[in-house]
Amino acid sequence: MKQALVTLAMAAGALVVMTASAVAQQASFPAPAWSRTTAAAQNRGSLTERGAAVFNNWCTVCHGKDVKNAPGTQSLQYKYQGKLPAALEERRDLTAKSVKFYVRKGVATMPFFRKTEIGDADLDALAAYLSQGKP
Amino acid sequence: MPQPPKGMSDRDFQAALRRIREVAGSEWVFSSDEDVELYRDAYSPLWGEEEERVASAAVAPISVEEIQAIVRIANEYRLPLYPISTGKNLTYGGSAPVYSGSVVLDLRRMNRILDVSLRDRSCLVEPGVSYFDLYRHLRQEKIPLWIDTADPGWGGLIGNSLDHGAGYTASDFRDHFDAHCGMEIVLASGEVVRTGMGANPNAKTWQVFKYGMGPWVDGIFSQSNYGIVTKMGFWLMEEPEAALMVNVTAPRRQDIVPLLDILTSLIYSHTILSELQVMSPIMNGSPDPELVRLRVAGAGATDQEWARYVESRNQPCWAASFCFYGAPKVIAASWEHTKDRLAVISGVQFRETASYTFPLTDEQVDAVADKPRLGIPSLNLFGSRNSPTARPSEGHLDFSPMVAPRGEELLALTSVTGKVYADMGLPPPFVGGWIYHRRGMIVFHPVSTYRNAEDNQKTRALFERLVTACAEGGWNTYRIHANFQALAIQTYGFNNGSLHRLHETLKDAIDPNGILSAGRYDIWPKHLREKRA
Repeated sequence: MKQALVTLAMAAGALVVMTASAVAQQASFPAPAWSRTTAAAQNRGSLTERGAAVFNNWCTVCHGKDVKNAPGTQSLQYKYQGKLPAALEERRDLTAKSVKFYVRKGVATMPFFRKTEIGDADLDALAAYLSQGKP
Repeated sequence: MPQPPKGMSDRDFQAALRRIREVAGSEWVFSSDEDVELYRDAYSPLWGEEEERVASAAVAPISVEEIQAIVRIANEYRLPLYPISTGKNLTYGGSAPVYSGSVVLDLRRMNRILDVSLRDRSCLVEPGVSYFDLYRHLRQEKIPLWIDTADPGWGGLIGNSLDHGAGYTASDFRDHFDAHCGMEIVLASGEVVRTGMGANPNAKTWQVFKYGMGPWVDGIFSQSNYGIVTKMGFWLMEEPEAALMVNVTAPRRQDIVPLLDILTSLIYSHTILSELQVMSPIMNGSPDPELVRLRVAGAGATDQEWARYVESRNQPCWAASFCFYGAPKVIAASWEHTKDRLAVISGVQFRETASYTFPLTDEQVDAVADKPRLGIPSLNLFGSRNSPTARPSEGHLDFSPMVAPRGEELLALTSVTGKVYADMGLPPPFVGGWIYHRRGMIVFHPVSTYRNAEDNQKTRALFERLVTACAEGGWNTYRIHANFQALAIQTYGFNNGSLHRLHETLKDAIDPNGILSAGRYDIWPKHLREKRA
């Protein structure tokens, strides 16, 4: 949780939050200056740092290292039985291609993610982060 | 390539998409096979079959103005649109349209938290705001207000409330539609309407008072297809000083009657504020032959037979869990009073499972086992595997008939559903009731879906039988997967379906070209009704 919050703060504010006065006056709501799907691409830092931000925003709640708060990690633990690390961030065999495949195709109860959730630029960063540069 | 909506020429379809691209930008109009596939229902009971409900394209606008422009284009071309908010209504249809060929209007990018008022304990959000988004914002800004999250928490406030979803904290907040205050809607004509006090351009009370003046129309925009909700206000719970989670067990099968009668009395008198679950450790145990026999016998099994079985298992027949919120002294008094009231049940046992004082640190948040009761979103329910050997889950549908929270009703309903499962050669279903909404209790039956047609055919047959058998018993579902909405609406058929006819009369008046969410909750626009007849 802490890690997720810190990363969200790094990502220049995940959401645009407005003041009460704008609502009270019923003024036109200004156009959002930020869109989640381009957050990582706009964020400073290396591709893998941006990928870490995407992971924390979208993936940690299922695939974090804390098994009791990560049902995806728990499921992979059952699947691999110690043959591979259950936490995706501890894997050394992931390729960018396989990360992109699972995000866009889903697997078991994990649904696929739309481009309005994880955009192509964010997915490139995420894939770079989890694959550590392997194509 | 994805097919255009039935009856629409490819030329018109492409022309409409070109116009929509001019509005939303090419980047946000999705029409390739690869992109449109992302709008399938990941848990579809028709996965890969010809009848699977699929989109023809999708567009993701960023503003109300863009939605207005898209709606006007859709009217011109009679292009069916299907708005989604966060698109995570999985088990009820996900982000796929009800009517194949619709263009999904994906509102996920509209993710602004427009206002959080600490003094009014309220917020105003756009459709793309998820439970995680709002929760993280309140934590980050250290605002001592709680959200009431659905579980799993990947959905959003607006979509969940419009589908009559519910959560786990105090009764003022759990029924998510009930806890909303004020809406903004883009009508099918493109006109923008604000409901309640929001109709006054100078209003200071949009999220304070629901009704405004004149007929309160908010209800017609839930489980319907009359407009596109672009803003919604919600009441938020003030963070309490403390919380205490408790568990109450009762030994005998017939104890469920006094147990629920007393607990509901405590709910209605506001002693117990939280969501309350009651389930049977005995009946949900591994289905040995004697348990299966008793479950299938339903009312045919005697109390004595059940008593012998329960005694042999050395477990209580019922376990209820709930939570107290407030100042520690108030919690202590409420818990004492609860125990006093329940003491009339012989053998009743009480256990405190966790206690908290707020605010929690991040480490304490991580350690909370039952997160939704403290308004903390999680996905902890959604693992694919719960053992090394189990077949991984690929999805499920939610069959949740609504019953009065009475012991006799829980037993009668699960006897009926138990027979449906048995007739299909399946082990008995889970026995448990969840009191989410203010007065009703849902009896949750997860029905698995698969990525293969053979298994899904069985799933659909089971689901249809459950809907029909429960409706005959007087227990209707309150919310249902898109594939079964027509069947479920038939069970609300008083006076030869007069309620459904009213829904369609409203549809014709508000959306005469039938461009919005055709078929949602079986409300079809006139031109498609006539073809179906």
